[in-house]
Amino acid sequence: MLDNETRAVVQGITGRIGSVQTAWMLDYGTKLVAGVTPGRGGETVHDLPVYDDVYEAVEKHGANATVLFVPGPFLRDAVLEAIDAGIKLVVAIPEHVPLHDVLQMKSAAEKNGAWLLGPNTPGIISPGIGKLGIMPGNMFTEGKIGIISRSGTLSYEMAGLLNEVGLGQSTMVGVGGDPVVGSRMIKILQEFEVDPETEAVIIVGEIGGSSEEEAAEFIKEMKKPVIAYLAGRTAPSGRRMGHAGAIIKKEGQGTVESKIKAFKKAGALVASKPSDVAVLIKECL
Amino acid sequence: MKLLEYQGKELFAENGIPVPRGTVVTSALEAEEAAAQLGENIVLKAQVPVGGRGKAGGIKFVDNLQYIRSEAEKLFHLDIEEFSVEKLLIEEKIDITKEIYMGLVVDIDTGDIVFLFSPEGGMNIEQVAESKPEQVFRLIVDPLEPPPLYQLRHFIRQGGFQGKILEELTKIASKLLHIFLKYDLLTGEINPLVILPDNRIIALDAKVEVDDNALFRQKFEKKFWEERDLLEKEARDIGVTYIKLNGSIGVIGSGAGLAMATMDMLEDMGFPPANFLETGGGITEDLMYNALKLVCKNGQVTGVVINIYGGVNPIEKGAKGIVRFVRERESPPIVVKALGNKQEECWEILKEGGITVITSVKTEDAVESIINLINSSNEKTKIVGEGVI
Repeated sequence: MLDNETRAVVQGITGRIGSVQTAWMLDYGTKLVAGVTPGRGGETVHDLPVYDDVYEAVEKHGANATVLFVPGPFLRDAVLEAIDAGIKLVVAIPEHVPLHDVLQMKSAAEKNGAWLLGPNTPGIISPGIGKLGIMPGNMFTEGKIGIISRSGTLSYEMAGLLNEVGLGQSTMVGVGGDPVVGSRMIKILQEFEVDPETEAVIIVGEIGGSSEEEAAEFIKEMKKPVIAYLAGRTAPSGRRMGHAGAIIKKEGQGTVESKIKAFKKAGALVASKPSDVAVLIKECL
Repeated sequence: MKLLEYQGKELFAENGIPVPRGTVVTSALEAEEAAAQLGENIVLKAQVPVGGRGKAGGIKFVDNLQYIRSEAEKLFHLDIEEFSVEKLLIEEKIDITKEIYMGLVVDIDTGDIVFLFSPEGGMNIEQVAESKPEQVFRLIVDPLEPPPLYQLRHFIRQGGFQGKILEELTKIASKLLHIFLKYDLLTGEINPLVILPDNRIIALDAKVEVDDNALFRQKFEKKFWEERDLLEKEARDIGVTYIKLNGSIGVIGSGAGLAMATMDMLEDMGFPPANFLETGGGITEDLMYNALKLVCKNGQVTGVVINIYGGVNPIEKGAKGIVRFVRERESPPIVVKALGNKQEECWEILKEGGITVITSVKTEDAVESIINLINSSNEKTKIVGEGVI
């Protein structure tokens, strides 16, 4: 997903967070080609040209990826614009994005064959190549382990724990911490299975939803080993009000127990705490 | 954010979905006055933001006005799932020939908007969904291209309706979909939607939940019910997510996953968490100070684990807030694990402030450290105590 061909723009580059994070991404060696902020075309930020829209960045620089730091209320339009401009990797960092906006963004990404990571994602990092996101670069090292995470902070912890046992990472993909996100875990898992740089995959999951159970279905067919860790055994489950949730709910999904069961059944190893993942992965490599 | 029934019905009525005549009251006296305007057959409905109200005794039918006051009194003294009843909806009783279910919901698992419809609505709709799934019809709604009226008609017709009733149901479906999309709803449910003997169709209940993240563009905040937990309300004002739990160790994490992992480890070590608190990506000195203050308001808290990463968050600023809190207030033992961008600067500030800092990547090191601190401070108390005796 992120490789030497990636030519990324930063949407919202003139904002406080956008500007700071652009500097961190450039420091990390990421190939950023331009920034986009409507109304700020013609300026430069960290020597990158700023355009008023994504279309211009695509025309002039062949941009094919974007990382967004625009505020939550404006995210939808910025993402829809990027997808319409032909961008195929969209990394949506902001949190607190209205759910209906997420649904629209997801629908547009699916129709146009674009990857949408997030919202509420730390982004994607391939150590040695670059990072599109807010993850601290110092927590990651080059190597052969792929990480898929619903949680930003836990993905940093996981990478740090792997570093301690001498295992670097090929790519870490943050799918996003919101209840609904742009890309299903199973899709990312399929990418890792065919990625020559990756030898094993770690899934960092959480209570809620059914993306882990769905991903487990694919693990059965995988050649590469998968190790899972799940957070939230002690978290309270949400209160519900109407009947609709119960009517559409698939029986026995969403709890940490059901996810552990699904992973084990599919042949994945399950760690009871993050540091155990490093132990388990050593055993299967 | 869940709306109370009467708020949901106001929203329905404003957008053209018929609801029964009714008034909201806050006292038994008002209930009596309101009922007098509505006729002999009255329904009193407790206004609480949870389901299962009918089964909990929160709905009373009265056919004689002299009993209104006493029945209202009873309802005002009721607690339904921890909610005390503060408001009643007084409505005309409706004669029903058929109960229908109509609801829109976001399926969190698939990320779809699902339109649900069943000709067998009412309190037992969940059992119907289980025993007669063929009687619950579903339509996936594309948020970028919502279905036009003719598709909704085709959808509703599966329930076995025709002619005028089908047309009326289709219009209500269209209005419900409009409301769902316009007001950023997570749930918009009418159960039951009822057909009257004269073939009019009325929404007898309203379950409406609005997306908190969309409140900036929705104008009806004031109508919302207050949070039952004052700490949770304070958390919203600070800008963090807080859930109170039953244990004794306060938890502050800079992400939900990290906070939950910390809670799980505490539980495993026999020191259950007192709360879940996630800062999100907006850490400032004040936010961290206020978050700590909030966590320590819970009298059960004997120690706090703070687990933060500097990605988008300036952890060095968070460190200043922690140090300020410890200086200004009486604080239980605190352990901070902080890594990422500007970690050295953050550690420096914390160490100067006398805070226990964990620089390893293992969260269990922070958990073990807080447990040791609590145990050793307990020891000290014991010794002091013995000295006094």
